[in-house]
Amino acid sequence: MSAQGLTGPGLRLDRLPRRRRVNRLMEGLAWLAAAIAIAILGVVVFSVAQKGASELNLNLLTKPPIQFSLTNAPQGLANAFAGTLVIVGLATAMALPVGILVAVYLNEFAPASIRNGVSMALDILNGVPAIVIGIFVFGLLVVGSGQSGLKGAFALSCLMLPLVARATMEVLALVPNSLREAGLGLGVPQWRTTLSIVLPQTVGGIVTGTVLAVARVAGETAPLLFTSSLVGTQTSWNPYHALQTVPVAIFELSESPDPADHARAWAAALVLLVFILIASLAGRWLATRSRTKMLAR
Amino acid sequence: MTALDLTDATRRPFTGRRVRFGDVALQVVAGAAAAAATVLVGLIIWKVIDGARPAISHYGLHFVWRIAWNPVLGREVYGAGSFLFGTAITSLFALCLAAPLAMGIALFLSELAPRGVRAPVTALVETLAAVPSVVIGLWGILVLGPALRTNIESWLHSAFGFIPLFGDPSQAGASIFTAIIVLTIMILPIVSSISRELFLGVPPELKEGALALGTTRWEMVRGVVFPYARGGIAAALILGLGRAVGEAIAVTQVIGGGVFIHANLFGGGDTLASKIAASYQGSSTNLQTASLVYLGLILLVFSLLANISAQLIVRRVARRHGITRGGHA
Amino acid sequence: MPKSGRPIRILTVLAAAAAFAAVAVSTAGASPARHAGTTITGAGSSFVSPLVAQWITPIGAAYGYELQYSAVGSGAGVAAITSRTVDFGASDAPLTPDQFTACNGCLQIPWALGATAIMYNLPGVKNLLHMDGPTLAQIFMGQITTWNDPAIAKLNPGVSLPSTKIAIAHRSDNSGTTFNFTDYLSSVSPAWKSQIGSGVAVNWPVGSGGKGSSGVAALVSQTPGAIGYADVFFAIHNHLSYFTMKNRSGKYATPGLRGMLAAASSDQTPDANNALSIVNPPAKYPNAYPIATFTYVIVPQQSSKAADLKKFLFWAVTKGQTYGPKLFFQPIPKSVLVVAEKTIAKIHS
Repeated sequence: MSAQGLTGPGLRLDRLPRRRRVNRLMEGLAWLAAAIAIAILGVVVFSVAQKGASELNLNLLTKPPIQFSLTNAPQGLANAFAGTLVIVGLATAMALPVGILVAVYLNEFAPASIRNGVSMALDILNGVPAIVIGIFVFGLLVVGSGQSGLKGAFALSCLMLPLVARATMEVLALVPNSLREAGLGLGVPQWRTTLSIVLPQTVGGIVTGTVLAVARVAGETAPLLFTSSLVGTQTSWNPYHALQTVPVAIFELSESPDPADHARAWAAALVLLVFILIASLAGRWLATRSRTKMLAR
Repeated sequence: MTALDLTDATRRPFTGRRVRFGDVALQVVAGAAAAAATVLVGLIIWKVIDGARPAISHYGLHFVWRIAWNPVLGREVYGAGSFLFGTAITSLFALCLAAPLAMGIALFLSELAPRGVRAPVTALVETLAAVPSVVIGLWGILVLGPALRTNIESWLHSAFGFIPLFGDPSQAGASIFTAIIVLTIMILPIVSSISRELFLGVPPELKEGALALGTTRWEMVRGVVFPYARGGIAAALILGLGRAVGEAIAVTQVIGGGVFIHANLFGGGDTLASKIAASYQGSSTNLQTASLVYLGLILLVFSLLANISAQLIVRRVARRHGITRGGHA
Repeated sequence: MPKSGRPIRILTVLAAAAAFAAVAVSTAGASPARHAGTTITGAGSSFVSPLVAQWITPIGAAYGYELQYSAVGSGAGVAAITSRTVDFGASDAPLTPDQFTACNGCLQIPWALGATAIMYNLPGVKNLLHMDGPTLAQIFMGQITTWNDPAIAKLNPGVSLPSTKIAIAHRSDNSGTTFNFTDYLSSVSPAWKSQIGSGVAVNWPVGSGGKGSSGVAALVSQTPGAIGYADVFFAIHNHLSYFTMKNRSGKYATPGLRGMLAAASSDQTPDANNALSIVNPPAKYPNAYPIATFTYVIVPQQSSKAADLKKFLFWAVTKGQTYGPKLFFQPIPKSVLVVAEKTIAKIHS
């Protein structure tokens, strides 16, 4: 890392005014960039809020959709909200235990080579595009036997696994070894040390990781297109059937010519966005809080 | 630094002392989970190759650059060329737009922002990352696309229409241009948050040293921060590119669809990912399905390359700077 | 030792998380569906989806069936029934021999009659414009690019056409409507037939793709100067104008019930697989709309839901047809009904 241009001719005093001007220009551009980022987010959130708020009513959550309604009967997206709850819930139930166990293995038991290998596998899994996960689950589970909410949940859990595992690994690494030594020194078997002394310290981080993973997959559309998209309009909680989900519903409504469909899409997007934003911000707040607690120890 | 390193007894759990069933059980169960996670990655790669096999055996490697996609029975021919082109154009342009913006944001947040502004703006940028792609796509179809079409596309076409790049404006705003803007918005948060952490990780004594020599802040950034963070920035850009390449939903909502390669930014097209999303729900023949999975395979290969190279760069940089594992957030 | 209850707590949490899946799954099976009847799932043609959507309530009232239909396009519908992901598929394009083989014992039954309207968005022009096949083919090949082209003007004397650019909207997914439309274009334009051909998806030389009939209608609504094709219901429902098409007898026919019925008279005998072709009927049917089509339901001959499917399909081709006219579907003619009912009777468990 060389300090380029920082000596001699680069720092000529007679060039100072020009250097100062360049500096101010660059600082101004940086401020501008930040302003653009804020503006973009503001515009997106404002559009969703403004357009979504007008159609936001209890019907959205309680009434099923009516295809090609010839009357103005109230309709909503009840089936989508129910389906999202079921599928995201099942995905979390699948990914959470496996993610924690993977992190425990990597941090407590694995020799360095295995740790690096599995870590890399997790990072690769994190980088696989969601649509490829959709193709994968389609080929593995759906072909020949049909779609279902469970298969959609499995696809989402593939996306959640690296996030949960990584978050758990980070907090496990923060647990001081003195704790482990103390447990083992007192004669507590290793398995008990891990489960009763080490893991409880990490609950905050695990919760954070899970919350962030849920925020990530609640809005995922691509894997569900392959696994849970041939759905009806009635609300169902049965994961053995294909269930409608909020992101897929928004996707389908967004391509419709009917402005009423657009209004429903905005409202659903607003609900989804609020949920995800709350989850993300809560997750990050929990992360900073638990990290401060761990480091203050 | 694992628990294995701690005591002699745990280093060799099977010799010298009584084997605890619990220890073995936990290690086996946790190990199985780790094995499952690794096997999952292999399974994904294998299943995608398997699904593409009919197309691979029919077309071979030539598929990757053939510019054709004709699903008419009796004249079927498929190739990834036009979608590879679409992916390249949209992702590279988006990266070119996002990179300077992201650097600017990262510099702002690490060097310039007043203390009270730093945290909220960081949270805001990370919030942009949390917006689901289908919502950005919805906004893209109904708000951004029409706005770009009426304001920017028509103006650019009338002012610079002689350049083939600025041909006829799109219908209703669905175009490659809109897709580029959408992708820029989507990769901005990743690149900027990684860059921000890199800039924050530059040792303060290096920065202070430069400032003590009388440099302006920009010269310090250019002379110390950028060279130090060079590798990490490269990794961030690669990850952003990987994200742009893999984005299917928002792109398919705004890109308009099309098979031919053309120069007009305001025309329609498709990327590898958006073509899969558009044709996902069924195709009329096995060859077409296999060809779509072949597109997915190309996508997978690319994202693996991007991911692995970013990781290698990060590891090399970490070693060079003496950062131990777990030191970066 | 302190915190000795912790491992139990952790294990319980982990076990509960994993058990949540089992519990949810088992209770979901027992959870009361609003309609405690059989679910019949189908997927396919968006062309016929307005009609099928109207059937959901009456069929639920008549037999307690919960009808679920996803308008994912004819191609996807055929794929879905082939893999038995759904109980029935719907396609406007008749199955090819290869598709019949892949479907492994499927029956093809005509269950509705409709027309593909060529809809357009041209503000300022009030009356419905005339159009003929060869000109339409040239438009969709990108050879005619503005509305005031002489070829269009010739068909519409006395109408002042603006110089707006024509924007083409076509289907991006595999569509029986595309098949119907390209089948028509191939029969009226040798150039189209040789260069592009017909199918559920073709290589469109120009234009943007929309997903489903709704997607095309959306594109046309949002773009002044656009032309697209979809079942006539979508044109009317979205307040879009449509062309009156010149048929072989020289008259300009509208995609209404009369035009469909006249076109249907041109082919009264379904072939061995019950397919009918009524595109571009000969001149002796002066009122025929030239881009009309039957649409088919594809069911496996052997199904565990045979009894329910038979009841549903018998209802669909008889009582269900009465819901058609207000949605611009002509009830199927008697000769076709007889064949349909004979085929439905073949379904067994």
